[in-house]
Amino acid sequence: MRERSSNAVRRAAALFLLAAGCVLCMACSILYGSISIPLHEAVETLLGQSVDEVASRIVIEIRLPRACEAWILGGALALSGYLLQTFFHNPIAGPFVLGISSGAKLTVALSMIFLLGRSVRVSQGMLIVSAFAGAVASLALVLALSGKVRSMAKLVVGGVMIGYICSAVTELVVTFADDADIVNLHNWSRGSFSGMTWEHVRISAVLVFAAAVLVSLISKPINAYRMGESHAAGLGVNIRLLRVELILLSSILSACVVAFAGPISFVGIAVPHLIRRCLKTEAPGWMIPGTFLGGGLFCLACDLIARMVLAPVELSISTVTAVFGAPVVIWLLMDRKRED
Amino acid sequence: MEQIFFQAEKLTAGYHGLPLIRDLTFSLKKGEILTVIGPNGAGKSTLLKSIAGLLEPLGGKVVLGDGELDSLPRAERAKRVAFVFTDRVRSEYLTCGEVVASGRYPYTGRFGLLSNRDRDVIEEGIELLRIRELRDREFDTLSDGQRQRVLLARAFCQEPELLLLDEPTSFLDIRYKLEFLSLLQEMRRGRDMTVILSLHELELARRISDRLLCLKDGRMDRFGEPQSIFSGDYIRHLFDLQADWFDETGLARLSDGI
Repeated sequence: MRERSSNAVRRAAALFLLAAGCVLCMACSILYGSISIPLHEAVETLLGQSVDEVASRIVIEIRLPRACEAWILGGALALSGYLLQTFFHNPIAGPFVLGISSGAKLTVALSMIFLLGRSVRVSQGMLIVSAFAGAVASLALVLALSGKVRSMAKLVVGGVMIGYICSAVTELVVTFADDADIVNLHNWSRGSFSGMTWEHVRISAVLVFAAAVLVSLISKPINAYRMGESHAAGLGVNIRLLRVELILLSSILSACVVAFAGPISFVGIAVPHLIRRCLKTEAPGWMIPGTFLGGGLFCLACDLIARMVLAPVELSISTVTAVFGAPVVIWLLMDRKRED
Repeated sequence: MEQIFFQAEKLTAGYHGLPLIRDLTFSLKKGEILTVIGPNGAGKSTLLKSIAGLLEPLGGKVVLGDGELDSLPRAERAKRVAFVFTDRVRSEYLTCGEVVASGRYPYTGRFGLLSNRDRDVIEEGIELLRIRELRDREFDTLSDGQRQRVLLARAFCQEPELLLLDEPTSFLDIRYKLEFLSLLQEMRRGRDMTVILSLHELELARRISDRLLCLKDGRMDRFGEPQSIFSGDYIRHLFDLQADWFDETGLARLSDGI
């Protein structure tokens, strides 16, 4: 009994540390950049008492929405990865690895070029819808593949290939797009949190938090499902419904990320693994808040690094997430107890 | 108690629309243990899976108590029928306590929080199957015999009226086989559970069963009490054994393997 309650205390402490880390990173994101803003000034600005016009604009209009968006979308990515890993019973699954991010990227690029070519103003809603369509389409491909191949390794390789095909087509489309579109597309297709506005934050917060609430509502069947399908079915889980819910929710989450920040690699696969190791459980009651906070923290930190390391040049966010995320995936591959 | 509690009527099941078992009709009273025996590929697992609901029957029906099983809502069915099959449990960091507690799934609310009654049943199951010291261990790290007991405890927590077991003894050594036998009888006594299981070990089947169902090529070859099934040279016929492999002493020799 004592061992179990001490486990709970340890896990709660880990979640608290993650949340504290998020707050700390968010503060750093607000304070540091091409212009450093002293803490007291930032606090005054946030309280609405600032006198310095420039500093207040930087904080309120640029850095704060960017930090919020990095946190929300990072959490969304990690949660999406956790859902996919649950679905495939495989810790190496993730939205980027399975080609879902690239599929969404392709449809977003296509619709951006198509709409801009007809000088229609592209709204965020349209981008999200097209990203979602791309995510679902490439996930459908992956699923068709998973019906054919039983081995997870082959499935992952298949997903990576689907990702490459989508990226190649995207590159092709971008090459033939008009100059004006390219600037827009090029930054976005490499993945970046720059240029986030409060409108972006509002839309993605509503979508991501709604999806996160829905994920929490199915945490009970997820908990049974992690034992395996027949075990869950025997306990009364509606397997088919749960699988559809997992697919749709993870697609919404990763589509939302792609629509706003472009494809971001390795967060969806590395963060759930790190969180699992650190909480020492796969129970969704811990994993759902854990992966969300962990993903948020990871992206906040990576965005800070992307901005700071070679300032004033900004790295693409995927460059940084790959540097930190890819070794985790390698560790994960070597760490697996059994190979299936 | 003399009433029929479980009934299969012309049950036909298989994969991809092709029946592997055909027209099985048999019935059991409450609390009886039925063992399905027969050669490999006769359809033992198919029969158990279709009763469990993992495989939709192609024809016929299964009636439990006053209702048809396939018309029950999922949660209701999971409260009445539990099974322990040989499928692997796939999860890291899954403790035995969690596996046992998952048996309360059909009884808990939206978030799966355990009530006091749920906790009592879990304690009872852990006590009955003597797995208290395994509680905080990871399921992955257990031996086959220990896993078997943990999964039985989970099934116990579902408080089922019908328990299905597919070759529950195949990975167990002789000591665990005998232990399993007594556990099964304890579970049956305590809950008045009806049990349907498949076994390869004929001697074990003879000892624990109230009824035997002999499957051959997907059809019910015989159904009855162990004494009548094991009398004469019927078993030889069931398994297509040649006469010189099998005689009165040969039965003993074959069943040394239990």
